Amino acid sequence: MEPQLKRRKEYECDIDSWVAYPVLSNEQSQDIELIEAFAAPIINKKETSRLIKELAKVYPLPGLQHIKRVRSCKDKGSPHPLEVIVCLASDAPVIDRSEELHISDLSSSGRLNCEGLGDPFLVKIPACPPLTRPQFEQASKHWPTSFHEDKQVTVALRGQLFTSSQKSKMQEYMMAAVAAARAGQESGMEAVGAAVVDPEAERILAVGHDCRQGGHPLHHAIMVCIDLVARGQGGGAYTYDKYPACQSVLPYSLPSQKQGATTTTCGVVQDGDSAEESGEPYICTGYDLYVTREPCVMCAMALVHSRIGRVFYGTSSTDGAFGTKYKIHAQKDLNHRFEVFKGVLDQQCSDLNRPVHYIKINS
Amino acid sequence: MGGMMSFLERTFSHVPKTYRCGWLMPLTWLVWHRAAFPKAKEALENGEVPVGCLMVYNNEILGKGRNEVNETKNATRHAEMVALDQVLEWCCHRGLDPRTVCERTVLYVTVEPCIMCAGALRLTNIPLVVYGCNNDRFGGCGSVLDIPSADLPHTGSSFKCISGFRAEEAVEMLKTFYKQENPNAPKPKTRKE
Ligand SMILES: [Zn+2]
Ligand SMILES: [Zn+2]
Repeated sequence: MEPQLKRRKEYECDIDSWVAYPVLSNEQSQDIELIEAFAAPIINKKETSRLIKELAKVYPLPGLQHIKRVRSCKDKGSPHPLEVIVCLASDAPVIDRSEELHISDLSSSGRLNCEGLGDPFLVKIPACPPLTRPQFEQASKHWPTSFHEDKQVTVALRGQLFTSSQKSKMQEYMMAAVAAARAGQESGMEAVGAAVVDPEAERILAVGHDCRQGGHPLHHAIMVCIDLVARGQGGGAYTYDKYPACQSVLPYSLPSQKQGATTTTCGVVQDGDSAEESGEPYICTGYDLYVTREPCVMCAMALVHSRIGRVFYGTSSTDGAFGTKYKIHAQKDLNHRFEVFKGVLDQQCSDLNRPVHYIKINS
Repeated sequence: MGGMMSFLERTFSHVPKTYRCGWLMPLTWLVWHRAAFPKAKEALENGEVPVGCLMVYNNEILGKGRNEVNETKNATRHAEMVALDQVLEWCCHRGLDPRTVCERTVLYVTVEPCIMCAGALRLTNIPLVVYGCNNDRFGGCGSVLDIPSADLPHTGSSFKCISGFRAEEAVEMLKTFYKQENPNAPKPKTRKE
């Protein structure tokens, strides 16, 4: 218990002060789409099973397998406890909506025996199966819907995906990015910092900050970090010797040390891509990136090209490409997808954009 | 002669008026764009994705680039990024403001710039890109996303694109490359490239 306490003090902030939320795809995060349908009360309970069979034949609901055809009536005081979807509004004959609708209007020229059905009314039903619990809850308000829950997504949306010890590691990595951002700011750069981490080895491989004022408008913190990782692997295109806070370390402490065994047992392997036969690191495969603010579209795509494992950022940015303007990590047609989380040390990260003296007074 | 003129008219009918200063401009594009191909070939010969480009300012080539991803172990070293570095260096040596120079520099590239490079071109304020074939995997100028005309007020300036120059030749080179596969990448079973 004691070392844990000491550790927390060192970071000047509690791991409970922030929550990492997943940045989900549009399909997962948007409001559910609704379509109109006609429903009717079942006024004679004995007809229920016949009606369900006949409706399935006369008015099948293709692509709407998630919709439960029958629901128990919302209004508990109603004399008819069950209601059934008769058909989609688009499948119904053209009806003058100003006039009262009668169930016989939906008999499909007598193909449906409407015996036992009351007069229809319009309802809105979910057009697609819900992908997340919030979507399921929203969908269920309109009409009962089946839901195949991805428990991990549910837990992540509650902000409870990471354990305390994982969070304290994440905090340590983001603190490295924040420290780099501050160092960059002191040499006149914009206060943005990033760190690349090997989550298996629990090691920081590269730390960098924005270097645009050094004469290169594309040296964003992430681009710096990607090149520092390349340098650590014996490549690289630039030198950042001018900036002591931009550093890389070799991915393994001993060159002879083989990581093959741990690679296969660890769960961070993405798309089967980091299952390297040689054990040699390949660009950023399997690594995590921590960055103080949401990356721009150039940096976001640079991370796709680099086959990054996961991305964690502090605060959102106006033109951000991991949630705000785009969701590059979940973009259709791109061959590498990964998880992105936001909110890690969000306060410290957004403080970076404020005048330095203000932070000093507060801390 | 009449045939030639109607060919040019057809070829450049989609070119924005502002760039159509008679036929001289499009012809210049053809010539410069053609000059980007040897760089793409050089990439292919070096086991890199065959994309080549040129950056031209005032009829002078300031940058010439090809993919250098495997060589540098840095997946962001695309032809455009390499050429942009040379342009910036050129500005630095002459004490010129990069923005002023870039705002009058045209990029000629064999393949549609990817999303990353399109972002970089916005951030450096390049006004015009002339390219060959589309890039279905990563294309940032319409194939996957449309970065040049996107509403990104904090990501430099928007730019114009003109495409279709020697597209078949560019595609052929890419096909040749993907047949022989990237030798430096690990070879897991599920590799989709
Ligand atoms: Zn960026
Ligand atoms: Zn590119």
